[in-house]
Amino acid sequence: MPAHQISMVIDLNKCIGCQACTAACKSLWTDEPGQEHMLWNNVETKPGPGYPRYWEDDGGGWNEDRTALKPGKLPEKEAHGEEIPLNFEDVYFKGEEQILKQEKPMGKGANWDEDTSSGDYPNNYHFYLPRLCNHCTKPACLEACPVRAIYKREQDGIVLVDADKCQGFRECNKACPYDKVYFNYTQGKSQKCIFCFPRLEEGVAPACARQCPGRLRFVGMLDDENGPIDKLVNQWKVALPLHPEYGTEANVFYVPPILPPKFDENGNFVDESDPRVPMEYLRSLFGPAVDQALITLHEEMERKQQGKESELMDLLIAREWKSLFNIPDVKIA
Amino acid sequence: MTLTTSRRSFIGSSGAFALSLKYGAVAADSHENAYRRWEDIMRNKWTWDRVVRGSRGLNCTGHCAFNIYVKNGIVWREEQQGEYGHQGEDTPDFGPRGCQKGLRQHKYMYGKQRVLYPMRRTGERGEGKWERISWDAALTEVADKFLDVAVEDGPEAITYAMGTAMILKRAAFAGLFRFANITGCTVPETFAGVGDLPVGANMTLGFPLPGDSMPAVFKSKTCLIWACNPAATRIPDAHFFWEARYNGTEVICISPDFNPTAVRSSKWVNPKPGSDAALALGMVHTIVAEDLIEWDYVREQTDMPFLVRTSDQKFLRESDLVEGGREDGFYFWDEAGDQLQAVPATGFSPFAPPDPNAEEKSLLLGALKPAVTGSWTVDTKDGPIEVTTVFEFVRREMENYTPEKVSAITGVSADVIRYVARKFATNGPGMIYAGYRANKWLHGDLVLRSWLLMSALTGNTGREGGGLQTTQLPRAEGIFSYVFAGLGPRLRIAAISLWDYAKNDGRGNNERIYGREFADHIDKHYEQAKQNGWVPDHAAKPWRMALMAGHNPASWRASGEAWRESALSQVEMMVTMTPDMSATALHSDMVLPVAHHYELQDITMEGRTPYLQVIDEAVPPLGESLPDWKIQRDLIKKISERAKARGITTISDNIFGQPMERDYANAYNDFTLNGKVSEPHQLVEWIISNQPGVPNISWDEFASIGILRVEDSDDVQFGKNSAFNYETLHSTRDKHPWKTLTGRQQFYIDQDTFLAEGEALPVHKEPLKNQGFDLRLTMGHARHGIHSWTRDDSLLLSLQRGEPDVYVNPDDAANRDVEDGDMIRVHNDFGDFVAMAHVSAGMQPKQMFMYHGWDPMMFRNKRNFSSVISTQGLLKPVQLVGDYGHLRHQTPDFVPNQTYHDCTVEFEKFAGDA
Repeated sequence: MPAHQISMVIDLNKCIGCQACTAACKSLWTDEPGQEHMLWNNVETKPGPGYPRYWEDDGGGWNEDRTALKPGKLPEKEAHGEEIPLNFEDVYFKGEEQILKQEKPMGKGANWDEDTSSGDYPNNYHFYLPRLCNHCTKPACLEACPVRAIYKREQDGIVLVDADKCQGFRECNKACPYDKVYFNYTQGKSQKCIFCFPRLEEGVAPACARQCPGRLRFVGMLDDENGPIDKLVNQWKVALPLHPEYGTEANVFYVPPILPPKFDENGNFVDESDPRVPMEYLRSLFGPAVDQALITLHEEMERKQQGKESELMDLLIAREWKSLFNIPDVKIA
Repeated sequence: MTLTTSRRSFIGSSGAFALSLKYGAVAADSHENAYRRWEDIMRNKWTWDRVVRGSRGLNCTGHCAFNIYVKNGIVWREEQQGEYGHQGEDTPDFGPRGCQKGLRQHKYMYGKQRVLYPMRRTGERGEGKWERISWDAALTEVADKFLDVAVEDGPEAITYAMGTAMILKRAAFAGLFRFANITGCTVPETFAGVGDLPVGANMTLGFPLPGDSMPAVFKSKTCLIWACNPAATRIPDAHFFWEARYNGTEVICISPDFNPTAVRSSKWVNPKPGSDAALALGMVHTIVAEDLIEWDYVREQTDMPFLVRTSDQKFLRESDLVEGGREDGFYFWDEAGDQLQAVPATGFSPFAPPDPNAEEKSLLLGALKPAVTGSWTVDTKDGPIEVTTVFEFVRREMENYTPEKVSAITGVSADVIRYVARKFATNGPGMIYAGYRANKWLHGDLVLRSWLLMSALTGNTGREGGGLQTTQLPRAEGIFSYVFAGLGPRLRIAAISLWDYAKNDGRGNNERIYGREFADHIDKHYEQAKQNGWVPDHAAKPWRMALMAGHNPASWRASGEAWRESALSQVEMMVTMTPDMSATALHSDMVLPVAHHYELQDITMEGRTPYLQVIDEAVPPLGESLPDWKIQRDLIKKISERAKARGITTISDNIFGQPMERDYANAYNDFTLNGKVSEPHQLVEWIISNQPGVPNISWDEFASIGILRVEDSDDVQFGKNSAFNYETLHSTRDKHPWKTLTGRQQFYIDQDTFLAEGEALPVHKEPLKNQGFDLRLTMGHARHGIHSWTRDDSLLLSLQRGEPDVYVNPDDAANRDVEDGDMIRVHNDFGDFVAMAHVSAGMQPKQMFMYHGWDPMMFRNKRNFSSVISTQGLLKPVQLVGDYGHLRHQTPDFVPNQTYHDCTVEFEKFAGDA
């Protein structure tokens, strides 16, 4: 076990699917040849196949008693989509083509199903789910690597693929149940989110968190009892790991979404006992603890509506932007 | 200006400190922490040479503060500066702001769509064949054509339009207007031109844009986000809505489709498209029927107590009682004295010098108590007549809008209408967060008037956290002190709706689509307005030359391809000045390269935040591109030179009915204020030093800090001494009369056209349809673009579908054998376009939705959605009136909106190109 474990809480009630996190991460870390299909951070519409498409069907992770890895499927390159240039020169400057288009069809990309709502109007439902490497306590990728290229840092629990050691066996790509390890087809190596450790070491939050205009990502040590992460995860228990049944003990947690109420047959609002997003679906994402988390969130929201105090709501409001990041803040200009 | 901090030195000085602070002492001999070369490689990636403050000067009210990181001579990336404070007590702070588009600028500026050199067309228009020419050759050709037209037909025949790639750069904006003020060329006004102008707000309040800073949202207790999608279009500040929700605010999204904002709201209400006025009036009915009215506010701030003659439904005026009496003197019934009482502080005088009695004009009622209900008989000079109050008219009109009747119109349940109305009226500050979208309906003015009625009856207009929110503009002094310096105002501005109606056969268009009777009706009012001198006649002069500054009308102009053909058939020379190619640039005769947003010096100032934002030159302009203002300067210099060389000194013109001479030989000296302002940063300093409410600061100092807080901005409503307008509080807090005929928030307009059209009060009118077409194509600003900027960015395209898509309801798709991802042809009797079907259960049946900004260049036959927008000739009679107090043609306050929504379509699976 590392001395400390870095962690992130993502509040899904604040995410608007703008992809600023995706763009921030992309230009910082995955902007080189061989990385066109790679989004270490992505945001996908749920329910939906996500990125890479149908990643939840690819297996991997641990068996039920956490003694062995389950078989996993290698996600196909085509399931990722990719960034493809447009034919600007041919259209605008050479007059050789009439219509602007991608130089080749991109296939179904990373956010193909943006805002594709499920169910039936007007009781349809969808929400946005940002995803990055979970920097798990029991990383399946680390376990699967035949050359021990993957390690979990002692000082902060960040899980990394050592590029000098990786030989491109791609066992990690199969083992990660979240499909958050990618293969660089140019370099022949596996690559993944590094939790922006070069920034973190300087006291600057990861790009996806610091650059999130929605102010929805808390960053800090999970074991810091004074930090917001501990309060949300361990004390209030409103922040939950994604797919806990995968058994890797993810260190990214989510505040589950509360959507506006459904309508009954007369067009009137239905109460929260029958939420717009079916409980069954939320349990499939966040496990059985989601029931109590939603009850707690509803209770505390109601306190605020009645003009009462709520530590939890104030924590989630985060009036000071920098209170999201329980790490030393250093100006970066 | 470059900040000196370099990342390389930064690591040396503070890196070790930060490490030890957080991570503590780590056992040096731990096997797990052995030195890893690979980690150092990653650390070295996060390095840079220097940092410059900047932003993008697009037509984006975000104007977010960014650090621009330069490495090896190019912009490597950008990241939010983030160092904002709070506005208002107990509110969240602003940081970090920004969005995915801003984070693509460092890529976009090096994209292959960029224009790098002046180019002259060699092939047919639109063919994409060019030759590179020198700046001198380009400017000489443009200047000579400019002079030819100005001499032959007057400068009116030349348009100089600004678009979204330019308009919010304040120095560039000021430069364009000064150029036009000097030369007399026509500036097509794009705010109403894109249908954004809240005409209904002007009718009611006497100004078009009520609004506060974004944290006002956090102060509301009921926030109706109505006809607006801030989760996609106000990304930097949308957090205030969800933080408010956590803080106990009921955030209610009102939208036909389950849009990104609905996903995050406390409640979602889903009216049929175009039924918003009815929904609002249903809520007004509840507010009136259940007496949820703030009576004191209504008596003081609105025209509700004003007396109206029941016979002809005209206000009772002083001229009714006294021979030679005032037309802008009105009456209420004073309950305190039980007598007829002249209303204090009425009348509207737009251009009068400051009124020495201004301090005496006050809305305060003192001992007076105006009756809001009742009817009376009063003696006039023509004998006794019956009068009643505006409120009585409202109460009677609202009988047409019982929640049950409104439910039948909107599809929203009567109980939900009552629920929202009660919450809005009784839960604390009630806000309607609206943006501009509603104005794009032909009858959008009625929606605005209905909202303002809801807001006024409940005392919310002017209340902290309440009222209608559109936007907030900076006070005009800074920019116009330059535009008018030494010359006075002699600008020629044209409303695009009227321009298009005159130039592009608006009448014929209306007849073809909406029928002869309807076309005749509009045309009769248009002709009458021209005859009365209420609106200008743009048909009087030809349109021979068009200068487009960061402007892409071929993308958004209603009627799309038809507009393009019509415009190009008239214009002899079209010159587009732009950083990036577009459909408009492609069809131009000459394209001039503008520097990108990290390559020039300028500022932005938008009322979403209390900060001015610097735009600085992080790297030199690419190729031969130049900042907008320098192009204007160099062009006017060339015009002066060529005028002198050709023996043209002055141009005879006629502005505001007055003959005048325009001194072209001296135009360059005028433009630079005789050399005082010859570089963009000098103009920025001029603007700042002339802008009220902004601390005086040098360019260098401003550039080093990036953002500058305006004065008197502690509260979420800007104070009297801030840099932004203060119109609402001027009346609600300081009790000065509203800038309307009645001096009140005016809901009753007894002008003849309003009466004849049945619009003396806010009412609901059904949107227009194209006969035989049942589907509503609604639209909105894009999540992944600012207008057309970044709509063609390769990363953002990969996060969509790689090409334009249109959202459709699953049943509508299934009924037409269309599946998600199929190409569909969207068509009506006006035109068609092809796009990909994006099937989503979030779409209301019979509604389609398409995000804005997809350039025609991305569609088959270069036809985008504008090809089915048949609304170009629609003018609304009540927006053509004049000579009625505050209702007179005046840019940008009161001109007819161009409209975009009053058309219907069908779709089918695309069978392939014929």
